[in-house]
Amino acid sequence: MDIISQLQEQVNTIAAIAFNTFGSLQRDAPPVQLSPNYPEPPANGNPVEDAANLAEQPKLLSAELVKAAKQFDALVAALPLSEGGEEAQLKRIAELQAENDAVGQELQKQLEAAEKELRQVQELFSQAADNCLNLKKPD
Amino acid sequence: MATATYPPPPPYYKLYKEYSRDPNSAPAPPPPVQGAYVLYGANYTTDDVLPGLEEQGVRQLYPKGPNIDFKKELRSLNRELQLHFLELADVLVERPSQYARRVEEISLIFKNLHHLLNSLRPHQARATLIHILELQIQRRKQAVEDIKRRREEAQRLLSEALGTLEQ
Repeated sequence: MDIISQLQEQVNTIAAIAFNTFGSLQRDAPPVQLSPNYPEPPANGNPVEDAANLAEQPKLLSAELVKAAKQFDALVAALPLSEGGEEAQLKRIAELQAENDAVGQELQKQLEAAEKELRQVQELFSQAADNCLNLKKPD
Repeated sequence: MATATYPPPPPYYKLYKEYSRDPNSAPAPPPPVQGAYVLYGANYTTDDVLPGLEEQGVRQLYPKGPNIDFKKELRSLNRELQLHFLELADVLVERPSQYARRVEEISLIFKNLHHLLNSLRPHQARATLIHILELQIQRRKQAVEDIKRRREEAQRLLSEALGTLEQ
């Protein structure tokens, strides 16, 4: 899996974590009393367990959010950036192409030479076999 | 409901009638297309370019131009994103009704991030291409060495065989 996909993954993860963070934080925000002439919001069932739960939840979520961001920076740091940008790459591709063709030509020549020798050896072999079969001395 | 018969095959099968006897009597395959072509009614072009952010109506947060420094831009965008998260958090506490702008900006940053990462793909593609070409060159050189060595061995074996045949 290459690094750019990992970066895109990380971006999606950051978005999802942020979304979850804000959603859940908003979702169970404890009611607070705003103005004195408003009634006291009714205290819900078991305050201590919820309070503890509510207190350490944002810490967890925000810590996770920050960690995701740091991982993103780490991934960005691991990005290899080719010096000189696009035209250097195109130049490199062009010369590699040329070299590739040269090596291809040489390979072609070697193959033809090998096949010629192979045919010669086969003819010699067939003659030798014929001679052995009907018992005649070579020249 | 009576059904109609199968449609006749397209007429250019006649061109390949005596292909088996000699292959080059058939017409050569058409050259690869360049530029615009129509496929299933839709128009495609061979050089597909990534549409810019402006065309999609999204404001671009990083500088335009061919060679930008990706690492710096990505890091700065990431920091900005964190800042906007914090802003959104305290906006939601003080003035919850103004969340819209923060959400707009956050989604704007996300779009920019994704676009920036997408524009890194061509770089990666070229680097992959370079890598593949280098590998191919290596393999072909090895193949050339290999064939040369086998030919010399064959020559040596033949000469020894001939030597033993004389006496």
